[in-house]
Amino acid sequence: MNGLEQFKDRNVSQNYYRVKIEPYPKTPWERFKRVVRRSLRLELFVGLKITLMEMLRFKIHTIQYPKEKLPISPRYRAVHKLLRLLESGNERCIGCGLCEKICISNCIRIDTRPDENGRKIPTEYTINFGRCIFCGYCAEVCPELAIVHGQDYEHASEQRAQFALKEDMLTPLDKLKEQKEYPGFGAPTPAADKLIKKTPLAY
Amino acid sequence: MVKFYIDGKEVVANRGETILQVARREGIYIPTMCYLSKVKPIESCRLCVVEVEGVEGFVLSCQTPATPDARITTDSKELYEHRQNIMKLYDVNHPLECGVCDKSGECDLQNKNLEFRVDSQEFSARDQYRPIQDWNYLQYDPSLCILCEKCVHVCNEVIGDDAIEIEYGGYKSRIIPKDAETLDCTWCGECVAVCPVGAFISKDFKYSANAWELDRIPAACAHCSASCHLYYETKHSSIENPEPKIYRVKNEFEFETLCGAGRFGFDFENREAKKDEEAFKRAIEAFKRADTIKFTSFITNEEALLLQKMKERFGYRLVNDEARAYQRFLENFSQYSGKSLYTPSLYDIEDSDFIILMGSFISSDNPAVRYAMTVSQKRHRSEIVNFHPVEDDLLKPVVTKFVKHEVGSEEAALSMLVDILCDEDAKKRAGKEWLESFDIGYLSAESNIGEEEIEDILKRLKMKKRRGAKRFTLILGEDLYTHPRAENLAKLAGLVDRFSEFDVMLIPPKTNTLGVALICDLDEEEGEFSIGYNQKGDFTLSALGDGDLDMPALNQQEGTFTNIDRRVVPTNVALPYEGYVLNDIAKELGVSDKEYTIEYTKELPKEKGYKEIEFDELDNEFLNDGTEKRGYELEIKKVNLSRKNIEPIEELPEFNGTVIYRCEPVLQFSPFTNKAHQLRTKGKLYASETFLNDLGLKEGDKVNIQKDNITISIEVERDGFIASGAYLGRFDKNIDTESLFKDYRFTEVKIQKV
Ligand code: SF4
Ligand code: SF4
Ligand code: SF4
Ligand code: SF4
Ligand code: SF4
Ligand code: FES
Repeated sequence: MNGLEQFKDRNVSQNYYRVKIEPYPKTPWERFKRVVRRSLRLELFVGLKITLMEMLRFKIHTIQYPKEKLPISPRYRAVHKLLRLLESGNERCIGCGLCEKICISNCIRIDTRPDENGRKIPTEYTINFGRCIFCGYCAEVCPELAIVHGQDYEHASEQRAQFALKEDMLTPLDKLKEQKEYPGFGAPTPAADKLIKKTPLAY
Repeated sequence: MVKFYIDGKEVVANRGETILQVARREGIYIPTMCYLSKVKPIESCRLCVVEVEGVEGFVLSCQTPATPDARITTDSKELYEHRQNIMKLYDVNHPLECGVCDKSGECDLQNKNLEFRVDSQEFSARDQYRPIQDWNYLQYDPSLCILCEKCVHVCNEVIGDDAIEIEYGGYKSRIIPKDAETLDCTWCGECVAVCPVGAFISKDFKYSANAWELDRIPAACAHCSASCHLYYETKHSSIENPEPKIYRVKNEFEFETLCGAGRFGFDFENREAKKDEEAFKRAIEAFKRADTIKFTSFITNEEALLLQKMKERFGYRLVNDEARAYQRFLENFSQYSGKSLYTPSLYDIEDSDFIILMGSFISSDNPAVRYAMTVSQKRHRSEIVNFHPVEDDLLKPVVTKFVKHEVGSEEAALSMLVDILCDEDAKKRAGKEWLESFDIGYLSAESNIGEEEIEDILKRLKMKKRRGAKRFTLILGEDLYTHPRAENLAKLAGLVDRFSEFDVMLIPPKTNTLGVALICDLDEEEGEFSIGYNQKGDFTLSALGDGDLDMPALNQQEGTFTNIDRRVVPTNVALPYEGYVLNDIAKELGVSDKEYTIEYTKELPKEKGYKEIEFDELDNEFLNDGTEKRGYELEIKKVNLSRKNIEPIEELPEFNGTVIYRCEPVLQFSPFTNKAHQLRTKGKLYASETFLNDLGLKEGDKVNIQKDNITISIEVERDGFIASGAYLGRFDKNIDTESLFKDYRFTEVKIQKV
């Protein structure tokens, strides 16, 4: 089976085999006997031997986390980023409030007001990561591709409610060059150009 | 009654009802873009078309009355396409800015585009430069405007300001101030309310919240006695502050109208109040010491009942001058009209064919009455006569005859009306003394109301009657209740009500004056030690947050008001309040055994016309056809007629020198409106151009207003809405207007420039 076919097969038990399990000890005496048996057989060192040999041969398969990190898929949904427009450096978020509305954990809040040019701006944007379930709806609904999922999945915290403010998520102006277009959830598909109908112009 | 069929359903139209009106009443949907129930059909969108069997082409349902047995189809492939094409045209050059538009989520254009599945633009037109207009409280964006004309019609047909119009010019068309560079109107904000898109918006609300985030709390406006139905819309204040805040006020604009104070003056809550136990103890001490409770009528019926119960228990004097004057007026009126209350409602004013208004500066006293008069004038060209010493230019488009009389001569004016409106019976009832004192020559000379003016009114009345006029209303205002001759005036008004075809309305001066007047036994004189409730007393309870103990403001309370329509209307809590309420004091004093104030709603006095209905059972909505289902109407009882004759007309008082009037500027009613952040302003002496010229003053001058030994220093402001006179308001609590005007609303003063 290849491709999607394998997922369509719902008979999950096909490749299973039974593990032989010896009967559980019933009396305290039997339990004691099992402990003595297992201790004296030094099974622990059988495992340790393998580890030791692999170590001496320098055939290490583990990733040296946190020094090393695996590359993750662009569609991975980790801690959010707020993007800027590449040309002007302006914030992309227009404060439409759709992310706030769609968020099923109700963990986004934004404050908006008109700026000095009369345009709508989000003065503050927060996500409560203690509640976020990283569903990706916010990134998907955003019409401006302003709120996106980043690749940074480390956000252990001492507090249950861990808030990210706008400045934590927004691309810093000096890092604008490094900002990548987001290909993940909610981004236009590669064929999007073909699907767009142009509005006729009178001039 | 016309029987016909809409989509196969048998329906019945009342006289004059259009197809659309019947459909809406019956809950049948016909899409519209320009229809606004409270104005005449605008007919600019053509979306409301329907098919009538046997009739060629489509018919506009918003303006076509049904014919008997007509069979009407509201939806078909052709209709759908026709409507879809209209929507496509609306979209040409419409900015794609739903993402930021204030209207998004409740926008008719958005909704109808979705309904008719318009997702692309096939035509194009050259875009025009039409910059956003900034008009004080409002903002207008022509590129979002779909030129439905609702704003223009509501401003003209309901408000009466007639301040805006359409400038035609193809794709350049837009709304502009009428005959003016920039908009200068009474800022009711009704144009914002009716705008189906985001073209007309409130500048304060702009970009601060989205329609779907806001919680809607149905309430009654707390500022004047119309107690208009409105919704407070709330949301958390900001990310840092989760406390709810009112972001804006909305109304059922299809059927009712708000004034600017109601719409923009919403944040008058007592914010910082906490349960201050020390202050509460002091309050209880004060209540034990006091012999008087002074209060204003900015309270609910239930609170009024609590005050009355306190009085019954501890013998407090209840002092509320304005409500007392109204109460006395109403009592005297009843004894001569035979009814416990006046009968007309705002709806009756709208339906009136002939209206006489006396003793009220209506554009600021009670805008709802003004709007009702405008509707009556625009809808069926009613005749509106206004008697007043101050010329109000705002009423010019509505009032068909203005009679300017001398200050203080209301008795003469009303007597002259009795003379022409009532028959001989009434005059007999008034008594010989009164008849003898009725010397029209003298009255006319002293009051400056020409006999020919009265004859002219009579002529107009006869003309109206010949044309089949049915409803006549005499509206009286606060000038009369505070008049030294109020008692006689009330009796004369009673005669008019009983002996002429005119129904008399007595406008309650403040939000719940009528309720207070019915529920409380009021006293005249203050005692030694007084508790003030929203008034300065020896111990002051205040919802403004400036007293000895905090009280909740009316947007933090639930309860009922008795409004101008004699209706008991409910209001709800929009914002939290953490301090003590009047019921807590009553409980502590052993007067109240109820946990919540609203448990008193069903105990309001039945003998005064209230009903035994629980607060939670009160309706608070409008039906599809505009029927107001709010609370209930007070029952009008029969009152034994007085046998006493009416006193002879006294010599008319003379007012010499500089006379000023007591009324609020438009958008203000009380310190509560002045607390709202959009309306906050410093009280001034508002003067007409002529007044300024007479005294050699100009705008911005500082003057001293002197009377007896009271002096008030104040700045002068020109009020372009009045053609003569000058006035002071009570909305700025830093200015002691009260002591200048003891009772009557006009007073002689000396004004000196400093
Ligand atoms: S990922 Fe899901 S839960 Fe998290 S903020 Fe976005 S919408 Fe809310
Ligand atoms: S959906 Fe996008 S543009 Fe809209 S408020 Fe959220 S981040 Fe900003
Ligand atoms: S007016 Fe309506 S359709 Fe136009 S931008 Fe605003 S929400 Fe969108
Ligand atoms: S605010 Fe009221 S008076 Fe002013 S233009 Fe709008 S509708 Fe007319
Ligand atoms: S401003 Fe609004 S109400 Fe007025 S014409 Fe334009 S769309 Fe209609
Ligand atoms: S609703 Fe009838 S034409 Fe617009």
